Amino acid sequence: MIPEDAIERLLDGCKEISKECELQHISEWEIVGSQGYGRSLDIEAGRISLASGGGEGGFGVRILENGRYGYAHLVDVSGATHAVSQALSIAKASPSIPGFSLPSSQKTSPVDGMLDDAILKLSPDDLLTQGDDIISEVASLDERAVVIGGGIGIGAEASVMLSSQGIEASGISTSHGLGVQVSIDVDDQMTSSWESSSSRKLMKGIPGCVSTAVEWAQKTRNPIEIQSDAVDTPVVMTSQGISSLFSNIIRPSILGERMVRGESYWSGKLNEVVLDNHLTMMDDRRMEGGFGSGSRDGEGVPTSCQTIIENGTLRKMLWSSRDAAKNVSEGRIDSATSTGSASRGSHMSPPVTGCGDVHLLTSKAPMSLDEMIETMGTGFVVHSVMGAHTANPTSGDFSVTSSTVLRIEDGEILGPIKQAGVSGNLFKALSKDVSLGTSSTRNGVSSTGTNHLSDILFSQGMRINPA
Amino acid sequence: MVIQSEGASPTSYSTRYLDRTKMNNALSSALSFGASYAEIRLMAETTSSVRLKDGQLEHAIPGQEIGATLRILADGAWGVHSTTDVSNIPNEIESTVRLAKAVAARRPSSSNPIQLAEIPIHQDEIHWKSKKDVRNTDLDTKLSMLDNIHQSANDDQRIISVSCGWSDEHLHTELLTSEGMDRTWSFQRSMVNGMVTARDGGDPVSYRMRHGGEGGLELIESCDLETLGGDARIAALRLLKAERSPSGKLPLIADRDLTGVYIHEALGHPCEADLVAAGDSCLDGKLGQKIGNDIVTVVDDPTLRGGYGAYPIDDEGLDTREKTLIKNGVLTDYLNHRETAHHFGLEPNAGARAQDGLHHPLVRMSNTMIMGGNFNGIDELMEDIEYGVYACGSRGGQVDTGRGSFQFAAQEAYLIENGEITTPLRDVSVSGLTLQILNDVDGLTKDAKLASPGFCGKGQTVPVGDGGPIMRIREALVG
Repeated sequence: MIPEDAIERLLDGCKEISKECELQHISEWEIVGSQGYGRSLDIEAGRISLASGGGEGGFGVRILENGRYGYAHLVDVSGATHAVSQALSIAKASPSIPGFSLPSSQKTSPVDGMLDDAILKLSPDDLLTQGDDIISEVASLDERAVVIGGGIGIGAEASVMLSSQGIEASGISTSHGLGVQVSIDVDDQMTSSWESSSSRKLMKGIPGCVSTAVEWAQKTRNPIEIQSDAVDTPVVMTSQGISSLFSNIIRPSILGERMVRGESYWSGKLNEVVLDNHLTMMDDRRMEGGFGSGSRDGEGVPTSCQTIIENGTLRKMLWSSRDAAKNVSEGRIDSATSTGSASRGSHMSPPVTGCGDVHLLTSKAPMSLDEMIETMGTGFVVHSVMGAHTANPTSGDFSVTSSTVLRIEDGEILGPIKQAGVSGNLFKALSKDVSLGTSSTRNGVSSTGTNHLSDILFSQGMRINPA
Repeated sequence: MVIQSEGASPTSYSTRYLDRTKMNNALSSALSFGASYAEIRLMAETTSSVRLKDGQLEHAIPGQEIGATLRILADGAWGVHSTTDVSNIPNEIESTVRLAKAVAARRPSSSNPIQLAEIPIHQDEIHWKSKKDVRNTDLDTKLSMLDNIHQSANDDQRIISVSCGWSDEHLHTELLTSEGMDRTWSFQRSMVNGMVTARDGGDPVSYRMRHGGEGGLELIESCDLETLGGDARIAALRLLKAERSPSGKLPLIADRDLTGVYIHEALGHPCEADLVAAGDSCLDGKLGQKIGNDIVTVVDDPTLRGGYGAYPIDDEGLDTREKTLIKNGVLTDYLNHRETAHHFGLEPNAGARAQDGLHHPLVRMSNTMIMGGNFNGIDELMEDIEYGVYACGSRGGQVDTGRGSFQFAAQEAYLIENGEITTPLRDVSVSGLTLQILNDVDGLTKDAKLASPGFCGKGQTVPVGDGGPIMRIREALVG
C-alpha cells in the first residue's frame, strides 16, 4: 500500500524546501512532510456501495526570525520559493516572542505498536471480505438488523520532520478503523445504533463494536412511557456516551494557554481539587499503539506521559514550546516549558498545543455496568448523545439529546425511553460522587488524539428531560 | 508531482491543471476496461486563514492545495481513487475499474446495480468572479479588519479574551467525464469570525460570531465589523447574568440563525436522497405526503449568490437550481445526485457536493431556508405566549435521520412571560422529532433571509447557508 521509498521521497522534498530557507537566509526553520495512503469501503443499505483508495500529502514550513514566526503549506515542492517567501512575510508581520526558539534535537525512543505490516499487506479484496463478513455477522445476530451506513478503512502514513536545529525524524504509522450504523426497521418502528472501533494494528475477525451496535438497536425497541418532567438524577453514561462530551469540554480545558488566559473553567485552580478525589487524568503520548502518541510531538519535542490531575488535584497543564514562551513573555505565567504536547492536524496546520491519548483512571475499585445500575437504584443509562459539539467548552454546560436511554428503577432496567434531553455541567458532575467502570474504551479517534474512558456513574450533576 | 500551467498569474482564471488529451485518453481507457462511466474531478484551492488573539497575530496561513478524484462506475458499482499526485491518475484507471468490479461481484441479489440519471453534457467554463478578488487582499488589510472586531469586542473589563479569525478560499474545479463533459468553474468564499470570553468573578462564558459567504473582499467590507464585535461583547456580558434554562415542553420562538439550523437538521438531512435510499431517513416513502403545517415551505438554493452554501455547478457537472423540498407542508422533493435521482425516478437537482478534490460527491445541502409567513415581527409571535423561550444564535445541531430526532443549541435565550421577553437564559438546547415538529411550526415572520454561515458534517465537511424568518413552534422540548 505504501511505496518503499515513501520516506526518502518526503525527505528529499523537505531538503529541497530547506535549501530555499537557506537561500532566503532564514535563521530557524522546521519542515514537515507527510504522505498518507489508504483504502476504504462504504456500506449502505446492507451492501458495500463503494470502494476507494488513494494517497494525499504535502509539506508545511514554519520559520522563525527574531522570535517572529510564519507558516505556509504546499503540495508540490516546486512552489517552495513562493511558500517560504510567504512564511517570511507573515513572520515580519507577527509579534516577536522573546525567548522563543524552535526546539533543538533531543534523544528519543520509539513508541511501540505504531506500525503493523499486516495492514500494509492487506489487499482490496481482503478489505471487501471484511466488509461482507460484517454485513453477514449483523444479519446472523438479528435477521431484522441491517448495516445501513458506515464503512471500513485502513491507512498508512509516512511522515518526516527536518529542522535547522538538527532534528531529522521520520516514521510510518498504520491504522485500521470501522464504523457501523445498524438499524432494525420493522413493525413501523426504527431503532438504530452507531458504533466504531479503531486500532493501529489490523483488527482481525469481527470487532466487538458490531455486536454492540446490534445490541443497542435491539435494546431501544418498544420504548416505555414514563411520566416525568425534567429531573436531576443519577446517570450512567457509557464510554461512548461520555466521550464526545469529554472531547468538547475536558480536553480544551487542560491546555496551558486557555488556563492562563482565564478561558478554562479550571483557570487559577492549579493544585486545587477539581475532580472527585479518586480520579486521575493523564495524557500519555507514549501509549503503545496510541493514536495521539509517537516518539516526538508536532514540534519534534520528545513525548512523555503527563499526569494532569492526580487524585482529583489539578497538577499540570499542557504546553507547546511556542505557547509556553509566548505566555511567559506576556507575563501570564512565571515559567512554562514544552510538555511535548504540540499537535498537528496535518501538514496544512502549524503545531498547536493539544491533547494526545487522554486517560481517566480511578484509585477506587471500578464497577461493572451491572454494579453501577444496582448502585444507582433509580436513574438512567445514556449510551450515545447528539449535539456534544454544542456544549460550552468554557463553562462546561451542555444540553444534548439521546435516543439510546434506558430507564432504571430499583436497580433494574425497566426499558428504553424514546428520547430524552440530557443536561448538566461536566466539570461539576465530575467533581464528586463519580464511579468509573471496569474497562476503558478508545473513543473519539482523530488526527490529534483519543480518549480512553470507561463507563461513568454520575450520582449528581445530571438532568434528564424525557421527551 | 502535479501538472501545473506555467506562466499564469496567481489570480488567473485561465489556469488549467488537467491535461485534457492525457486525461480524456485515460477516461476512454476506463471504458475499454469495462467501465460504464468514468470521471476525473480536480479541485485547486488557494486559501488563507488568519487568527488574531487578544489583538495580536496568532497565525496567518496561506496555502495552495490540489487534489483529484477518479470515479469509475463498472458493473453497477463504484470504484474511486483520490490523489494529490494528479499526473499519476492515468496509471490508476485499470486498478480502479477492477475495484469497482470487485464491489459489483459482491452485490447481493436483492440490490440493484447503480445507474445514473441522464444530465445535459456541457463543455464550458463558469467563473463567479468576486467584485473584489479575495486573493488580492493583503495581510495588513485582513489584520486591520480583524482589529476592528477585536477593539469593539474587547471594550469592557469583564472581557477576558477575544479571538478573531479570517478565512478565505478561491476554489477552482475541473470535471472531465467519459460522457464528454468538460467543465471548469470557480468561485470564492470569505468569512470573519470570533469568540468573546467574559468572566465576572464566577464561571466564564463565551459567545461566537460569524459573517461571510460566497464572494470576495466586498463581503467583509459590507459588514459593520465594529457592530459585529460590539454585539458579541454585549451578548457575552448578558450571558454572565443569564440563568439556567427551564426544562420541559414549551412554546419556542427561534431567531433566523436557529430557524436555519432547525430546518437544516430536522428536514434538510432527512431529505438527502442517499440517506433515504440507504434506509436511514424518516422521510422514506413520504414524497407527496403532508408532513408539516400549511405555512411551511422550504427551499434549498445553491444559486443564492452570497450564501455560504452557494455554488454554480454541482460536483457531477450539473447546473444548479432552486429546489423546493416542502411546499405548504407537502414533501415535494429530495435532494439528490445522479445515482439517487435514477434510483427514485426523480429529476437530478444538482445536490452532489464533495469536500474537496480528494473526496467523492455525496448528496448535500447548499443554502436551506424556510420561506416567510404572515407575521409582522417577533412581538406578534410572542403576544399569545404565557410562558416560553425565545432562543437566538446557533451553537450548531445534529440529527438522527433514521429515527427522525434532532437537537440544536442556542447561543443565548430569554424567557417569554405573558408575551414579553424577560430573564436571559444560557445554554439552551431544543430537541424534537422531525415529523412532529414540522406540524408544530405555527408562526413565521414575513422576512426570510439567510443567517450566519455554517459548516455541515456528513463524513465530509462542506460550507452551508441556512436561514429563514423568525419562527414560532407551538411546543418543543427545551433543556
